[in-house]
Amino acid sequence: MATTVSLFNDEFLKKLEYLSILSKRLFAGQFRAERRAKRRGTGLEFADYRQYVAGDDFRHLDWKAYLRLNRLILRLFEEEEDLPIYLFVDVSQSMTYGDPSKVDYARRVAAALCYIGLSNLDRVHVVAYADKIRGELAPQRGKGRIFRVFKFLEEVSVGGETNAKESFKFYCTETRRRGLAVVVSDFFDTAGFQSGLDILRHFKHDMFILHIASHEEVDPALKGELVLVDSENNVSREVTVTPSLLASYKAEYTRFCTEIEEYCSKYQLGYIRTVTDFPFEELVLKVFRQGRFLK
Amino acid sequence: MSFLAVTGFQAALLALITAGVIVALYFLKLRHRRVMVASSLLWGRVLDEQQSHSLWEKLRRMISILLAVVIGLLIALAVARPEVHWLTGGGEHTLLVLDTSPSMLARTSDGQTRWEHAVDSAIRLVNASAPSSEFRVADTAGRVDAASTSDRREVREAIQRMKPTAAVARFPDVDPDTTQVRFITDGVVPLPPPRGTQRVSVFQEAENVGITAFEIRTTPSADLAYEAYLEVHNYGKSAKSTTLTITGVGSRRIDRELNLKAGEDFSQPFDLSKFEGGPIRATLQSSGDALPIDNLAYAYLPVKQKTRTLVVTTGNSYLETLLQLDSLVEPTIIKPAQYRPDPTFDAYILDGFVPADAPPRPSLLMGSEFNAGWLPKQTGTIPGPRFEAWAEEHPVMRYVSLHDVLVDKAARVAADRLTVLAETKDKSPLILASDEPGKPRWILLTFALQGSDFPLHTGFPLFVDNALAWLSREPLALRRQPGLVSVPMEQAEIKTLDGAVVESHRDGNATVFDAPEPGLYSATHDTFKQYVAVNLSSSQYSNINKTVSQKDAPASLAAGWFQQELWVYMLIAAALLIAAEWFTYHRGITL
Repeated sequence: MATTVSLFNDEFLKKLEYLSILSKRLFAGQFRAERRAKRRGTGLEFADYRQYVAGDDFRHLDWKAYLRLNRLILRLFEEEEDLPIYLFVDVSQSMTYGDPSKVDYARRVAAALCYIGLSNLDRVHVVAYADKIRGELAPQRGKGRIFRVFKFLEEVSVGGETNAKESFKFYCTETRRRGLAVVVSDFFDTAGFQSGLDILRHFKHDMFILHIASHEEVDPALKGELVLVDSENNVSREVTVTPSLLASYKAEYTRFCTEIEEYCSKYQLGYIRTVTDFPFEELVLKVFRQGRFLK
Repeated sequence: MSFLAVTGFQAALLALITAGVIVALYFLKLRHRRVMVASSLLWGRVLDEQQSHSLWEKLRRMISILLAVVIGLLIALAVARPEVHWLTGGGEHTLLVLDTSPSMLARTSDGQTRWEHAVDSAIRLVNASAPSSEFRVADTAGRVDAASTSDRREVREAIQRMKPTAAVARFPDVDPDTTQVRFITDGVVPLPPPRGTQRVSVFQEAENVGITAFEIRTTPSADLAYEAYLEVHNYGKSAKSTTLTITGVGSRRIDRELNLKAGEDFSQPFDLSKFEGGPIRATLQSSGDALPIDNLAYAYLPVKQKTRTLVVTTGNSYLETLLQLDSLVEPTIIKPAQYRPDPTFDAYILDGFVPADAPPRPSLLMGSEFNAGWLPKQTGTIPGPRFEAWAEEHPVMRYVSLHDVLVDKAARVAADRLTVLAETKDKSPLILASDEPGKPRWILLTFALQGSDFPLHTGFPLFVDNALAWLSREPLALRRQPGLVSVPMEQAEIKTLDGAVVESHRDGNATVFDAPEPGLYSATHDTFKQYVAVNLSSSQYSNINKTVSQKDAPASLAAGWFQQELWVYMLIAAALLIAAEWFTYHRGITL
């Protein structure tokens, strides 16, 4: 994570502070914060009027309306609360593939998003998963907690097969408040990428999918007689890589990406695909904003 | 199909091993490289899908093996040099003989020589023949006889090495496996080829006036006088005018206009008494002459001088009278006690006296008793020996008859490494000569003149004159013909008239050098010098219009479809298949 920290120079951090994570839906927060909440409350932003009923805080009575209408009308303000953000980072063995590795790239993206969330006083949950939940950082709030996030991302153990379904099921079955779930993964899941995402959908989370790929798997430079070894389960297959086979693979990979994209589109999930050699800052500052994930 | 490099069994074995090795290597491929991928999820889907095309995959593998085996077999069998007669038309073993007699140097109407036409014909024959046909190329002079080969370059080089020469013409022996014999000739030199020989004639009629004889000889009627005998013949079909010029040292020359009818000859001795000793050259100049080599002839005129002779004798009236009457000899007669070695004399005559050391100049010794280290050891005495045989061809014994010569007694000596000029019936030498290189010559009579009637015979003055000539006078030039010239001198240095050294080699007791054209050469060994006149001087070679030849061979040998051996095409096919395999492999068509 030293790399992550080094990438987070002052200028970049300042830029991040102006950003905030968008959620398509409003979720009930736990603490007061700067994000609109479902509830009406004591925020600064005017929201609505309603008839005064006994027990209401008469400090919010609109006295001018009373004089004009002779009715007690209560002014309602938007409650500004924090947003629960769940950052699910895939740390399976397949994420170590590529140069730079996908997991490093995912860590940096997660760190950046955490910083944005913390800057906006959101409650950020960072979860590392593979075949199971491999690490979970207790909800963090406030910019000062960013170093805990860094430390967590740095120390989390990497490896194992991907099993998003079981991991998410285990995580979500605990009492969790609904919020924004951001999944950062390569989605190489033998059970299918849908199974894990279905769980999150089931728990009514707003979702954003960041699909990370490496250049080596998008356009592999393989040729000849090879034994392909799966990095997650060490299953090997003898193969003669010919140009036609390579073309078939690329077509299959495109189909795989299209499937994920179509899934996200179908369920109105935010989706962005990136490769690890794509500049990280550009991804965060431009692509996320264009993808309506950050504002 | 047959194979030129190996037997059929070996070729089959080679093919079998090659195919086996290739197939084995194909299945014993190098260990696959292990490559880690993030997930085999997608690869698995692709490979599973491809399994539906397994038939094509198997076929593709078969094509790959088949291509590899075919390439390997093509290369392996190319090494074995296969031969298919209906394709390459090969299998012929041809003996190609070129006539290298000097008449082949005659020019034809197109300006080329018959020899150049012969070379062209030979190379055309070789080039047009089947690729696997083998040629053995030989000439009629016995100088080139290349081993049978199908290598066209070697054959052509052997042909180019040949050149016309005046050696004795001989048709080379025909090997048993020779299937055909080709003889390219002008037919001037009658050389009956073996039966079945197909002759290719390069004969074309041409004009030629040539010198057929040119030699220097002594004039019997005059002392120290020489004459040149010269013959010229018109071998053309029409009368010719020609200019004959004989030139010698200085400005001496004889010019003569000759008008010769067709077939007419001219022969005449020319008096050279006014010529100084040295090279003599005879030339003919006429227009349209086809054979220049016989328009030129050389000879050598010996330098005329009397022989200054020191005669050491106790008194021999026959010998002294003879020497004083001989106009070719300038004698100085002394007693043995007065003898002192004196190199200013041309020769010594030692009558009954033998010095302890050899005289500094050539010597003629006579006596029945002698005891000196430089002479052969006397082992006894032969009483009343009779001359049984003598070397009539030796210059010393020329015109000398020893019939009825009586000798009282003679010394018995061994003739090791000496030339025996006369001997008895039991091979005991009576007259010996020493011609040891680096030492003065000597002639030894093993009997005393006083104990013999030899001085009373007519051969005696001739013998003394011949002996003194052989010992000290310049000899006449040897006569040879162009080609390899042999001089009976060991390790002689051969030079041209210009003084240029000619490359030569030793051949037994002789020295051999190549003289392609007429010329006068000198052969020198220590103090002895011998001139060699190389002239064509042959009516046989100069008569270039007398031919026995006929053209009975087709212009070329029948060839098959291909002009090269099959292995060339096999290697080309292998290269093309390798290129195809490379192309298809990189496009994933083959594995």
